[in-house]
Amino acid sequence: MASKPNVARLFSCFATGTEVVDTVIEVSIAPGIPTFSVIGLCDSSIREAQGRLVSAFKSTGFTMPKGHITIGISPAYMRKTGTGFDLPMALGILFASGQLYLPQDARIYAEGELALNGEVKATPGACIRLKSVQKNPYLDYKIIPKSESASAGVAGFKGQSIDTLSELSEIFDGNQYKEAEFEFDLKDSNEDFLDISALKGQEKTKRALLISAAGFHNILLLGSPGSGKTMCGKILEGILPPLSRNELADVYSMNELVQGELSQLNYERPVRYVGPSITVGKLLGNAVNITPGEMALANHGILFADELPLYKQEVLDFLRGPLEERKVHLMKKGNLYSFDSSFIFLGTGNPCKCGLMYEAGSKCRCSEAEKIRYLSKISGPFLERIDIVSEMRSVKGEDLASIYIDKYKGESREYRKIVKRCWQTAHDRYGGDLLNGTFPEGDIRDSMRVTEKAVKFASELSEKGFFSARGFTRILRVARTIADINEAPDVTADEISEAAQFRMRGV
Amino acid sequence: MFLNNADSRFEDLFYSAVMLNTDMTYKTLRDLKENLVISNYRELHEKGLLNAIAKGEYKIRPETQLKIKKLLDSYGDLEKIANKYRQIALSNNIGVVSVQDKFYPYNWKNLSGMPQVFYCRGDYSLIDAMTLRGAVAVVGSRSPSRYAQYATDQICKELGNKGVTIVSGMAYGIDRQAHISSVNTKGGTIAVLAGGADNIYPPKNKDIYDQISRNGLIISEMPPGQLPLRQYFPSRNRLIAGLTDCTLVMEAGSVSGTLHTASFAANQGKEVFVLPNNIYYENAKGGLKLLEDGGNVLLGADNVIDSVARAVMYKRMALGCPGEVFFQDDKEDFEGQNDIEIIRELAKVKPEVISDEQWKILIRDALSLKPLCADELCVITMLPFYKVSKLLTELELNGTVCQEKGKYSLTFV
Repeated sequence: MASKPNVARLFSCFATGTEVVDTVIEVSIAPGIPTFSVIGLCDSSIREAQGRLVSAFKSTGFTMPKGHITIGISPAYMRKTGTGFDLPMALGILFASGQLYLPQDARIYAEGELALNGEVKATPGACIRLKSVQKNPYLDYKIIPKSESASAGVAGFKGQSIDTLSELSEIFDGNQYKEAEFEFDLKDSNEDFLDISALKGQEKTKRALLISAAGFHNILLLGSPGSGKTMCGKILEGILPPLSRNELADVYSMNELVQGELSQLNYERPVRYVGPSITVGKLLGNAVNITPGEMALANHGILFADELPLYKQEVLDFLRGPLEERKVHLMKKGNLYSFDSSFIFLGTGNPCKCGLMYEAGSKCRCSEAEKIRYLSKISGPFLERIDIVSEMRSVKGEDLASIYIDKYKGESREYRKIVKRCWQTAHDRYGGDLLNGTFPEGDIRDSMRVTEKAVKFASELSEKGFFSARGFTRILRVARTIADINEAPDVTADEISEAAQFRMRGV
Repeated sequence: MFLNNADSRFEDLFYSAVMLNTDMTYKTLRDLKENLVISNYRELHEKGLLNAIAKGEYKIRPETQLKIKKLLDSYGDLEKIANKYRQIALSNNIGVVSVQDKFYPYNWKNLSGMPQVFYCRGDYSLIDAMTLRGAVAVVGSRSPSRYAQYATDQICKELGNKGVTIVSGMAYGIDRQAHISSVNTKGGTIAVLAGGADNIYPPKNKDIYDQISRNGLIISEMPPGQLPLRQYFPSRNRLIAGLTDCTLVMEAGSVSGTLHTASFAANQGKEVFVLPNNIYYENAKGGLKLLEDGGNVLLGADNVIDSVARAVMYKRMALGCPGEVFFQDDKEDFEGQNDIEIIRELAKVKPEVISDEQWKILIRDALSLKPLCADELCVITMLPFYKVSKLLTELELNGTVCQEKGKYSLTFV
């Protein structure tokens, strides 16, 4: 015998960006001429639900009750959007009208969009929402659309998924609610990366990539056309360790927001390629419906900026903030939404207009003024955010041949082992997921174990014009990573001197 | 380093006397060596051995036996001649260098037909500096045009200041200009004479002879006191080509000894640079012909430095086999250069024993010829990048090295 409460209460949530707001949905049915109103600052996508509900009920054998139907979604002061409230609203109506049995004091979480034929469909942002829902211990029933399974699996969500509205009667009237974990399809890690041994004779760049990966440092490669700069993106990907489970959830949730549910997942780190035509908007994301841009999509991975000196000035100026803070912010109607964007920034570019400045035998035909103008865009404040700068030269003929002849793939694996060890050392030292490059700003001397002597040495270098005050802490960070690679407990002057070679000085 | 060792080198002097005054030939010597009668030329001075050969105790060709008999007949005379050489050498400060010596020039060691014994006067450490920094032969007409003379002056000065040694033959014209322009530079100058090292030829060049014997080095294949005969000159040209890493032909007529030097150099696998000149100018025809045959066009000192740097780099790489090359270590006047060659050899064999200071010396030395980028320094020093970068920062900090356009160069302060 179904109890017939005056008001049915359900739980759901909505997410703007990565911020999840828990909501309570209350449905009340009062006798009278049939009306349908949804209150609580809902946009038209929610208010339109009436049509979907009526049709879906009809398709699955339920009926829309006659009377004043009022649906309140709280917190009522926040603007809400999204069709994910369809399912909780439907459940509320069914409970309130007595068509389904509401177990005593049950707390029910539901989300999903309804199709006219009663099917339940996924809505964007599922991974983010489910991750937050899973943290709530007071929910008795958790019902999500079947097409959100992958997101639920990645988020570690436990609950039941349904395909159509008719399955609800089995769950509530048949009392067949089964909470289960969700599985997702994990593709094998792609081992088809480029081996670092392809960088023959470019010792500095090889070392730079290793340090960058080991400490999550931003890196800038300047070199002639054809020297293998673009290749370095692939190489860097190959020497980074695979994503951890938590990181996979972060990466997946961003992708899910943009592309919807993905059928296959893997532990590869994301690499986002951007070119000179990129705009601030694309990098930042969409501020209307709060979807992530390239920077948020590159979280835990690599943002590969090709031909950096050709970027628009405003883009370069904008990049400075997120590189420092490792977050991007979107503003919508007075609210600030943030996405994590902790990536390795890998910039490449020609050192001058013709690109041949570093080549042997002065082939460059640019005048001094031209050279200065070309690089002035990325020098100064932007460069302060880059930890490592390396030059590249075109590959010599004999080296080129051996790159294609030796198919040796082991070097990158060895590098990856070193990187993994360095990450472990950094995690042990700082606690949490911090690395030398992502450790928050501030006085890092103690936490990075820099010896007194090394600090003195670094300030001496700074006085001689090797780097600026901000460069000073960058140097200490890079030196810390070098010490980790060398398995040294403290940062000494030796590491500082090596780190200093990766700063760019003048043009 | 100053050599005055004629007193203790009587066998070498005796050998020179034999080669110059009897009909003894290299063929005879080779026959003796191949039949294991003697192990090196110095044993020619052993009278007992010679007697045994003359008596037919060894199985050798009859002509060789005959020649040894003749040598034995004039043995006393030859000793007198050798004694005379010794006196002249001692009174003129002339040193004797043998192929058995560790400090025999490295470039000659790798070529066949280079002298077993040669004589020198002046600062012998130039030979070592030359091996390390490269040397260039500058040859040309005895009556050059003003253009060729001007170019010689400019290029020799530039190369000399970069540390490249200029080698020439102390003749009139281009040779003279080359010596004058380079004698007071960092690279220094070496003159290879056709006659004895004490024999100033042409006599009017006494002024530069004096300068070179003070600040440079004079080398001769001929024993002291020997007059420069006409037939000695081609051999002298071969020595010049052999001693250097590349050859610059500043001006050459269509029939000229300069062309000999160039073809010797080409045959030894060394690059020949030719100063381009007017095609209607008779005295430059030979040089232009060389260009037609594939010589390199001399556009400035930069081309030459690239070529020399390559040669020097290969040479340094060849030093991988220990014991093959030895360098003198007593060059007080070369600041920071002490023991450098020994360090270099050690670096190849036992890199772990080299201290940072010593590595820095090697890096500075590598940079002394031309600016290099960090990757190239890694190749030359065979050090991993992290080591090189650390040393470079320290060198930059004390101002010895500066970085521009991604390359490191010496600041010369």
